[in-house]
Amino acid sequence: MASETTTGVERSTADAPDGPLTRVRDALEGPNTLGNSRAFWAAFVALVGFLFVYPMLRSTYYVNNTAFLLASAFLGLSLCLVWGYAGIFSFGQVAFYGVAGYTFGVVSINITGPLGTVAGLTVGVLVAAGFAFVIGYFMFYGGVSDVYVAIITLAVTLVLNTFMGQTAGEQWAVGTARLGGFNGMTEIPSLALGIGDTAIRVADVPFYYFVVGTLLVTYLGLRVLVNSDLGYVMVGIRENEERTELFGYDTRRVKLGTFTLGGALAGFGGIVYASWGNYIDPSVFGLTFAALPIIWVATGGRKWLSGAIIGTFVVTFISQKLSVFGGQFSQIILGALLLIVILGLPEGFVPQIHARLPWLLNRLPGGGDSS
Amino acid sequence: MTALLPQVLNLLLQFLDSFGFLILSAVGLAIIFGMMGVINLAHGEFITVGAYGTALSYHAGLPLVAAMVVGVATTTVFGLILEFTVVRRLYGRLLDSMVATWGISLIMIQGLRVVFGSSLDSIGTPLGNIQYGTFSYSTYRLLLAGASLALLGALYWMFTATEFGTRARATIQDEEMSRALGVDTNRMYLLTFGIGSALAGLTGALYAPTMTIVPGMGSTFLVEAFVTVVVGGASVLVGTTGAGVLLGAINALFSNLFGTFAGRMALLVTTILIIRILPQGITGLLNQIREEEA
Amino acid sequence: MTASETTTDVAGAALLRTEGLTKQFGGLMAVDDVDLRIESGDIRCLIGPNGAGKSTLLKLIVGQLEPSAGQVFYRGEDITDLSQHDRAREGLSMKFQVPAVYGDLSVRQNVHIPLQREVSRRDIDAEIDETLESFDLLDEAGTRADDLAHGQQQWLEIAMAAALDPDLLLLDEPAAGMSVQETERTAEYVHRLNDRGVTLLVIEHDIDFVRSIAQSVTVLHQGEVFAEGTIDEIEDDPEVRRIYLGEGH
Repeated sequence: MASETTTGVERSTADAPDGPLTRVRDALEGPNTLGNSRAFWAAFVALVGFLFVYPMLRSTYYVNNTAFLLASAFLGLSLCLVWGYAGIFSFGQVAFYGVAGYTFGVVSINITGPLGTVAGLTVGVLVAAGFAFVIGYFMFYGGVSDVYVAIITLAVTLVLNTFMGQTAGEQWAVGTARLGGFNGMTEIPSLALGIGDTAIRVADVPFYYFVVGTLLVTYLGLRVLVNSDLGYVMVGIRENEERTELFGYDTRRVKLGTFTLGGALAGFGGIVYASWGNYIDPSVFGLTFAALPIIWVATGGRKWLSGAIIGTFVVTFISQKLSVFGGQFSQIILGALLLIVILGLPEGFVPQIHARLPWLLNRLPGGGDSS
Repeated sequence: MTALLPQVLNLLLQFLDSFGFLILSAVGLAIIFGMMGVINLAHGEFITVGAYGTALSYHAGLPLVAAMVVGVATTTVFGLILEFTVVRRLYGRLLDSMVATWGISLIMIQGLRVVFGSSLDSIGTPLGNIQYGTFSYSTYRLLLAGASLALLGALYWMFTATEFGTRARATIQDEEMSRALGVDTNRMYLLTFGIGSALAGLTGALYAPTMTIVPGMGSTFLVEAFVTVVVGGASVLVGTTGAGVLLGAINALFSNLFGTFAGRMALLVTTILIIRILPQGITGLLNQIREEEA
Repeated sequence: MTASETTTDVAGAALLRTEGLTKQFGGLMAVDDVDLRIESGDIRCLIGPNGAGKSTLLKLIVGQLEPSAGQVFYRGEDITDLSQHDRAREGLSMKFQVPAVYGDLSVRQNVHIPLQREVSRRDIDAEIDETLESFDLLDEAGTRADDLAHGQQQWLEIAMAAALDPDLLLLDEPAAGMSVQETERTAEYVHRLNDRGVTLLVIEHDIDFVRSIAQSVTVLHQGEVFAEGTIDEIEDDPEVRRIYLGEGH
């Protein structure tokens, strides 16, 4: 333990101190992320490799479902960034998720063809980011903090829920896209990337690869961000905003920027969801769905990107399995799980496993040496 | 004039109804939040327990008032057990308390469904209607508005005239000091949570005759309770009452003019604006005025 | 002896100057019409009985509180309306009364956050080591800040405030709760910072500590500047002894 304390990062000695590999690792690694060792990256490459061959091993049904589970991670990561890193307790990440999903639907139904879905993707992310910017400006430059951020973001989400719920009538349509009230917006096209006939329709297996690819880029990109100077400032704000302000950082601006980026990320997740199911309804703005990302991220470990991704995947996976096999007890087991994690592992289960990993590996027969 | 009167009367009754609902939803949550800094997201389900206790004992043959007493008692015991086993470990951990009580809420909703099925037989609203020309209003719902006022009076008495009230206010102001003066803060918290639970149970018991009794009924109360507490601020009595008047009026007005959906939206939007303008809620505003006068 | 400076001073002669600085809480005058003047290179100690308004004055200077009246000048420039972070960028830094370190982060990360303002990524590890070394905290680099001993937390926060390479460093009771040896070490750090060119304004109750560092002393009483001078002048002032030094000690 003591040997790694001074830098927190174990440096690779294989390549030259200024080699390209070292520089990439320097950008990706730091105390704000878990997994800063060669062993981690080896396991990471193996996992990514497995994800790439996975569609060849299982049927389209499983591939589709796994894509759905992985796609939820965008919402989890957005909350992790906003809450876990910058300490902004947003109860309304789903607002950006839903707004982007609806926007994608409106644009892609009105503009047919691949162009429509690409435009919908772009406009949807921008609208979500813009919406987050407005809400964030309203809150942070108005001195709203802590639990009141949770209430405002939740209230915004519930306003959208109430509003979208009453849009059943004919008059609630944007162009040819009907909002559809509680029944939701149907016939949203699947994403298609490219132009005209050369476009690839992103459904089933291509959709899976699209999700894996974008998630990989997002994860690595966020790792660079949170380990950068800006990431340190975000963590400083989470731990003590006043102190960080007095170090010369404009904390309101950093929070606004983080919140806007989080909104864009959640929005991307909402678009992927709407495109996956060809459908979106006002329940994405409901109280139950609003609480889900909090459950995922709190269970996995909100202060770590990997905690958010693994937490989202595992909790979504378990609740899916439970609803099939657990029947009426699924919600009870889920609630109990949450309770146990908060009481027993308040930092989430992923950092706990990470801290015990060397010990576990040593226990394996023929496991590593005790360095 | 004759055409206007029922309209005004209607608005007034709608306001009273809305005020009563907001106050009764919020008091239990307000006491727990104001005194212990814990946000109980299972508050809605505590209300549900009160309604279930009432409905089940009513169907078992008890008279309605006795059934309501059973409902309140059940919720109180339930709250005390939860305080002792879970909530006690979450004091001072505001966000954790929200996540954990959300877990409790999931367990309770589904637990009730597993044990009692998807709904209970309704009780039926007693006391009939008030008639005035073409317009009629449930007498019982009006009685609830009166009950909310009586409850606020009782709480005022409790905080100002009883030993518990004195100690409770001391604990809110300075926990360490009051501990040094010999107040058993652990016991205070248990008592407070018990009172908060009892009030939630009372709300459930009182509304049980007017609603369909289903496991998820608590969510009807939760959002209203939340916004009332937040708009009110830390002071349980003054803040919550002020918030009930303000939000009740806005909700009644918009519901009356544009329908219930508009009333709810107006309620939420007002909350957002109030937090922005008065981060400490109505309590903060009153303190500010008091300070400037001093 | 008293500090009745006028606005006709040449701008820039004083590093920090306050003019009629006032803060009112309800009916209470916490800081009442304070004219303070600190020359570059000084170590000024701010003393006074409890409730004299010392911490409030520091918070007004650093921008944590808004004054009810009056102005703050820094290098002759009016900074009264500047935000806290802008003041920090101008070279003002502060250690709080209750140590405000990032409790959940390692000592190393704690220093990283302010230091990255001054040092590029390439050099930061070495610079952190150097900063920790100069405050004798290098052995604790990997420790969680909350797990440090009280004295070490105080030093860590001084190290963090100093990492900004400030021109004016405000320390609110840097030796509170420390043993005699620890207090001596704190005095040594203060002198070392001053040798590096940092001007310091220090609130302190421990009069031995004040004697060991102060080049000049300001006495605050009931929100007003009561007396000002060298430590010897202050200690010999019968009025000061009456309101402060005689009290308790």
